[in-house]
Amino acid sequence: MDPALDRGEGLSSKRFWDWFIFPGGIWIALLFAIPLFLVLALSFGHVDDFGRGVYGFSMDNYKDVFDSTYVPVLVRSVGYALATVILCLLVGYPVAYFIARFGGKYRYVLLAALVIPFFVNYLVRTYAWVALLADQGLVNNLLVDWGLTQEPIQMINTPFAVIGGLVYGYIIFMILPLYGSIERMDPSVVEAGKDLYGSPLQTFLHVTLPATQAGILAGCVLVFLPAVGDFVSAQLLGGPDTYMVGNLIQDQFFAASNWPFGSALTVVMMLFLAVWMVFYLRRASKGEAEVL
Amino acid sequence: MSEPFYKPRFLRLFTGLVYLYLFIPILIVIVFSFNSQKSLQVMEGLSFRWYTEFFNDPTLMDSLLTSVQIALLTMVISTIVGTALAIGLVRAHSGTSKGFNILMLIPLITPEIVAGISALLIFSQLGIGLSIWTIVIAHITFSISYVTIVVRGRLASIGVEVEEAAQDLGASKWESVRLVLIPALWPAIVAAGLLVFALSFDDFVLSFFTTGEDAQPLPVRIWSMIRFGVSPTINAVGTLMMVVSISAVALAVLIPRLFGRRESGVKVLTGAEE
Repeated sequence: MDPALDRGEGLSSKRFWDWFIFPGGIWIALLFAIPLFLVLALSFGHVDDFGRGVYGFSMDNYKDVFDSTYVPVLVRSVGYALATVILCLLVGYPVAYFIARFGGKYRYVLLAALVIPFFVNYLVRTYAWVALLADQGLVNNLLVDWGLTQEPIQMINTPFAVIGGLVYGYIIFMILPLYGSIERMDPSVVEAGKDLYGSPLQTFLHVTLPATQAGILAGCVLVFLPAVGDFVSAQLLGGPDTYMVGNLIQDQFFAASNWPFGSALTVVMMLFLAVWMVFYLRRASKGEAEVL
Repeated sequence: MSEPFYKPRFLRLFTGLVYLYLFIPILIVIVFSFNSQKSLQVMEGLSFRWYTEFFNDPTLMDSLLTSVQIALLTMVISTIVGTALAIGLVRAHSGTSKGFNILMLIPLITPEIVAGISALLIFSQLGIGLSIWTIVIAHITFSISYVTIVVRGRLASIGVEVEEAAQDLGASKWESVRLVLIPALWPAIVAAGLLVFALSFDDFVLSFFTTGEDAQPLPVRIWSMIRFGVSPTINAVGTLMMVVSISAVALAVLIPRLFGRRESGVKVLTGAEE
């Protein structure tokens, strides 16, 4: 194929480049791919008398997962994550559009400023929201001082706070791929839409939106996947009524110490995500989706 | 006029508000880290009280040291392994590269909690006690993928011609990698390393699942502090962590630019020729 690679290096050179792949590839296979199957295997197991997880062949954990206690948590997790995706898209699209089209020479400064908050520790960022939204927090103090409300409004421990925390945590994963696809879009197609007497809305819906589809899809997947598995936002900004599947899983591995059940919950969660992951991997490996 | 988003004025306002939303919580953390009182609502006066408290707390200092050690080890190992993987994936045209190309992406899109549990299970299966090393191993796994993505991006813009030229001049394949490709990739490698340092330093979820009794990294310590209640020391710790990771990221962005002019592979080649 590549003449330079086949030339004069002896037979061993055919595999020359594969040797570069092996250390990293085998590392990921051994310490990432195989452990995923351990999770699957343990999910059919049970807990022995000492509270340790033991492998087995029973479906009991899955029966428990689809028990009426846990189904609402699964539904809630997917619901919160979808709400997060939609909010990120609605907030992120105009921002990405502005930077890509009107950022001019400040484009990279604006992008860098966008990325900075993302490199502040996620716990610290979420904790800042706790301080802001608490009943005696800054926002409520201001509202009371300005006479907008008599009593503090309960903001913490609500679904809004949890979803808000998720949006704050993951919106960067939406804006970056959106920016990439808007930046690459040829502005003349918008002109063409205009020339064809498309209304602003029509032009946006029929020209801009389809042209930036790759970025939208990548952004949605990249926000949805971590949001479903998140437990920090629900733990710090929510309460037991807003717990997500991540909180349940975390509990099984620490407080409740039921690893097989935690594994089953993880497997079920991954099944929810598998479709999205496969879809994304197919596009990314063909170079059709933004990687980050 | 042609799109609802056409008018920059509306867009500018909206974008400005989003930036406020992104920065206000962070500014609050920074401002209140200098508060002289315990309050998180009212600034009473300026002081370094909470920083003094942080630096005089032996467990927190221990955690800081642990976090730095983890991030450095992760950076060094994953940069070497990840760079090799990127080179292999781009240059090899074998079935091997196709499979690993997809495998390499999976750690990046798997929710961290799943990666954390998988790591916990493999360590307990192998009977490896949780320590600083288990955290490092877990961090390296996802960092390899990050490094690979960053380096591969740079690699795509370097043609094979330079290496071919080196080989025409009598270099072996390995020499053409060592003397031509690696120097040309160097800015991207450094940038990837610094990025991984920041990600590892800030990571909570993976560390949470792979941390043992002792040597808890800073984010794991912060987690237990937050759950005990709001403490102004967290603001100081948070601000310091911010300084560390943002410096690393700023360097990661600046370094390739500093090398911008000199990274052309041809020059490196002529340099290596002498």
